[in-house]
Amino acid sequence: MTRFDDARHDDVLIAMLIDGVPPGHEVARWLRTEAGRRRLAGYRRALGGLSRLYGDVRPRPILYWCSLPSPIGRVLVAASDAGLVRVGFRRSEASFVAELRRTLDAEPVRSPARTAEIVQQLRAYFAGERLAFDLKIDFRQVSPFLRRVLSAAASVPPGQVVSYGEIARRIGQPRGSRAVGQALGRNPMPIILPCHRVIAAGGKIGGYSGGLRMKRALLKIEGARLAG
Amino acid sequence: MHGSPTSSRELAERHRHEILRYLLRLLGDAEEAQDACQQTFLHAHRAFGRLRAGSNVRAWLFRIATNAARSMARGRARRSGRMVEVELDGLPGRCPPSLEDREQLRAVARAVEALPSRQRAALMLRQFEGFGYREIASCLGGNEAAARANVYQALKKLRAVLLEDSA
Repeated sequence: MTRFDDARHDDVLIAMLIDGVPPGHEVARWLRTEAGRRRLAGYRRALGGLSRLYGDVRPRPILYWCSLPSPIGRVLVAASDAGLVRVGFRRSEASFVAELRRTLDAEPVRSPARTAEIVQQLRAYFAGERLAFDLKIDFRQVSPFLRRVLSAAASVPPGQVVSYGEIARRIGQPRGSRAVGQALGRNPMPIILPCHRVIAAGGKIGGYSGGLRMKRALLKIEGARLAG
Repeated sequence: MHGSPTSSRELAERHRHEILRYLLRLLGDAEEAQDACQQTFLHAHRAFGRLRAGSNVRAWLFRIATNAARSMARGRARRSGRMVEVELDGLPGRCPPSLEDREQLRAVARAVEALPSRQRAALMLRQFEGFGYREIASCLGGNEAAARANVYQALKKLRAVLLEDSA
């Protein structure tokens, strides 16, 4: 059989490979011959090459985000299907969305519907109607150490404060207060995971990634009293 | 998210990523694809009000994107008057490391670049966007049979460039 003849079943082979149409008896028989096998392998390689060159990149997970006004300025939130992943403030929507794309390799989609519960609880918080949050948190992109630190901070009730050293003690690393302070500075979900309730020794305010005025404002909302 | 988008903004947020990838497949160049993507949604925004309820929004959007890519490619041909060399690493898929593989893939990429724009678009829509031939026809014009012929022709050309190595 010549090369030229090999082409006569091409349409059937392509229909089989990309349209899922099974070949008839004649072609099925031909596919068991050397020529048939080679022809089919050629199409498979072409499709394989196409897929590797132009096929799907790893699909990026969708994150739903939204912004809301608050007494401390615009607050931005982002959530996956598994729960909250980011809270931002004192920044533009564009930079918040760009960071979701860059650091979480996600596809951000503005969705007030998917973030409704988070937004509603934050509104109630800023209105002084609720102090504790009851939300699902997606910790998958958070390192184990930071997660332990944030969980310990989250166990501090609203209206109270503890020291960095106390958090270090609670996570079983009594000499790790500096590491705790640094980790809290990387809190991806401030306000809701209350790193602002962790302060320096002796009742001093300590630091805050959002600025000390912000930290004081949040503690004031919660009715916490600071020394000095 | 389900149901029809209620605004062109929602439309853009829902489909931007897949349209961008489609344009990368059509143009093979990230920057051009970005530009074409912007034009696509600008056009979609202007035409959104005229979109009939119940129409296939996704196919409509892909048609706009296909046209944006075509005019982008025409502009490129006018400017350079020659074919741009394929940059394997700039394509949306991931390339394996082996050298022979790269040679084979380069041959496929060149063949894809040489395809008439209609065949290339038809092939990508069928293979990666899950479009049926009727939807492809509604994106590219013509009927279902022509859409199928475009896909089949394209694939035959890709197989042919690999023939030398396989014999």
